[in-house]
Amino acid sequence: MTRAVITGVGAVSAFGVGARRLWDGLLAGRCAVGPLRSFDASAFTSQVGGEVPPGERSDPSSWNLPASTGAFIADLQKRSLLRDSKVLFALLAAAEAWQSAGCGSKDSDAGLSIAYGMEQAFLEDLVPLIYGDRLDFTREARVGLPEIRIRSVFDQASSLIAEMLGITGLSLAHASACAGGALAVAQAASLVERGLASMVLCGASDSMLNPMAFGGMCRLNAPSPRNSPDACRPFDRRRDGLVIGEGAAMFLVESEERARRRGARPLARILGWGSTQDAYRLTAPRPDGVPAQRAMERALRRARLAPEQVGYVNAHGTGTPLNDSAEARAIRAALGASADPIPVSSIKGAIGHLMAASGAIELASCLLPFSRGVLPGTANHRERDPECSVEVIGEAPREKRVEVVLSNSFGFGGQNATVILGRFE
Amino acid sequence: MKAAITGWAWRTPLGPSVEGTVDKLLAGERAASPDLGIDAGSYRCQLGAPIRQEPAPTSQRKYLLRMAQYGLEAAKEALSSSGVLAGERLGVFAAVGGLRVHWGDTMPALAKQADDGQGAWERGLGKLHPFWLLRHLSNNAHALFSAEAGARGEGVTCAGSNAGAQALGAALRSLESKAVDAAVVFAYDSLLDPEALVELAARGAATQAALPELAAPYDARAAGFVPGEAAVALVLERGERAQDRAKAFISAADGADASSREPGVAALRRTLARLDARTAVVDGVGLARPDLDALERTCLADRVGAESLLTSASAALGCCGAAGSLVQAVALAESLRRGLLYPIAGLRKPAPGPLTPIQEATRTTSRGGLAVWAGAPGLVGAVRVELP
Repeated sequence: MTRAVITGVGAVSAFGVGARRLWDGLLAGRCAVGPLRSFDASAFTSQVGGEVPPGERSDPSSWNLPASTGAFIADLQKRSLLRDSKVLFALLAAAEAWQSAGCGSKDSDAGLSIAYGMEQAFLEDLVPLIYGDRLDFTREARVGLPEIRIRSVFDQASSLIAEMLGITGLSLAHASACAGGALAVAQAASLVERGLASMVLCGASDSMLNPMAFGGMCRLNAPSPRNSPDACRPFDRRRDGLVIGEGAAMFLVESEERARRRGARPLARILGWGSTQDAYRLTAPRPDGVPAQRAMERALRRARLAPEQVGYVNAHGTGTPLNDSAEARAIRAALGASADPIPVSSIKGAIGHLMAASGAIELASCLLPFSRGVLPGTANHRERDPECSVEVIGEAPREKRVEVVLSNSFGFGGQNATVILGRFE
Repeated sequence: MKAAITGWAWRTPLGPSVEGTVDKLLAGERAASPDLGIDAGSYRCQLGAPIRQEPAPTSQRKYLLRMAQYGLEAAKEALSSSGVLAGERLGVFAAVGGLRVHWGDTMPALAKQADDGQGAWERGLGKLHPFWLLRHLSNNAHALFSAEAGARGEGVTCAGSNAGAQALGAALRSLESKAVDAAVVFAYDSLLDPEALVELAARGAATQAALPELAAPYDARAAGFVPGEAAVALVLERGERAQDRAKAFISAADGADASSREPGVAALRRTLARLDARTAVVDGVGLARPDLDALERTCLADRVGAESLLTSASAALGCCGAAGSLVQAVALAESLRRGLLYPIAGLRKPAPGPLTPIQEATRTTSRGGLAVWAGAPGLVGAVRVELP
């Protein structure tokens, strides 16, 4: 069977635009969460988030992209076609991944497998209604309604990415909540392994840092009530909720043969993946963590690996009381007796929970062990919780050479996904 | 890869049962109506094909709006009819459409907002229902079906106008890799929301005709499709496991191009090329625009032969977005089982071109059929069904 490898990566996060900004932030053990600046959240129950630096959104000079793709995105911005942040983030990350993989016009047969957002509508599109715009559903609509739907469809970002890069392959749009990013990458690998595509640009983008979506999350009481940068404390005894972040991560996944043929240097192998469903509740994980355990076990089986071969676990680690304890149980159960020494961390304390894009951005962080020999730390993890009895890496990153990393993503609605990456040599 | 269909169910504008709806398809009925359940008096598009019956009462109503409730109903009914047991080896693959703001829930939070955006929380956002976000959650029907059915295997939720074909593809790959033993694939979508009706008419996709003047897809006077809605579910198993429980076999493909509108020739051809084309029966998407209909017929004729019979379930049921490929699969399979192909409802004067658009129910001995679906932006879905 053809093996899938990652040959390019792009990322947008609270650390800034670019995968290097993400990696540098994590290597420095920094936390990029802070007070929300893009809208007035003073009356909301939470007022902090992992915002992409506002200045970088509209400053093409900070994107480090080729002139053509940078100009394409800047032009869309000028024409007000990127009002929804997740479309902008998706384009930026896709352009970077495409560039870093060394792709060009000869790769137009590439497919797309991308997750956007976790809501059925792009709620950020509704924000103008708060600010005085009005939708007019009449024959003589003053507001450009055709553009409203164009801005809002799930696959709008995919269509724009395809146009920007000249891609004409198949296009999968995932809407699997917080597991979407991981599943998008897993589906890309599946397409490559089965010979249905030899190259797929995949990943996820999300932003809920707008009044509508953030308001909905606040009404759901999902964010931590602490309004401080250290609000999200994965696996910490004092954890009390998540912090919402925003951003995107994209990967160029292709067959090993194609990468070799075009002289691309793989960053990692995609060894396996697995997914399950809790079949439990919309907003709470099954407390015993068994379905999450099964997702890891399936991924290991698909990768033909023994649990002890895993060198690092990048946890979903939301910082909510229920998720982290259930996930810790699942990790111990899936990785058996070897769970104690396997280091585990979550980057959500540093950049927040990127929702649909969380699995993708966390996979981007999983390339650090291969490129720099460093495991990311867990920002704001200071007090060990007996309920989370796994080897959590503290705030400082840890130097260690590992061959295999396992990344978990568990979504609202109980969709669980695990992706396993391996060092390419 | 092809899999056996061992269970199916749907909710359509022509009724909730597969048998009853196919009876109506064969009779040439069409669901188009000016009664859309909303005040569309000022809209350019004033025809639609809504589902008439209310969703069955469910305790999940607080999380799910109308179309998702139909989706849940169809998925449960299909699973029950298949005899498949839930558990860790049952996967769930869902498909939803595009922008679907839940206006009824949302407008009260927006109605009293100030033009400068000040005090947004106090003026309404703080009064959103705590479940408001859950009702907008893209995978809520997937999650609630999994919970109700006890389905704990692999799964994804796909989105977009060809999401049904995407979900079918994901399910087939999962079955082929033996990650699951059975898969429930369900899709639901409605193009009858105000913003969809306005947008579809503005770009010339939806009809602006009154009912008496409505022309069918592939008609020489075709001028846009009828927006519709549907929820549909299939239960798939590998053939060796299904054995004599198989109603039909199905394979699927999806494709795209970089177009912001309906897909072009190349995407249609690439997608169709991935399916076995040995058939003389085709269910077309029927976008009901002369240029697109002609392009579709040309591509299909290249693949299946210019003499093949052409029908279109969407002529009767309306264009049902993400649910399209699954609706076609059920309609075509049930029709082939009866040996009687449904006509293109309302077709009076077929436009010239390859394939043979059929105007009345037609006997067929074909054991297989092909269906093609397409929608903006540049997305294609295709399925092939075969009788056991």
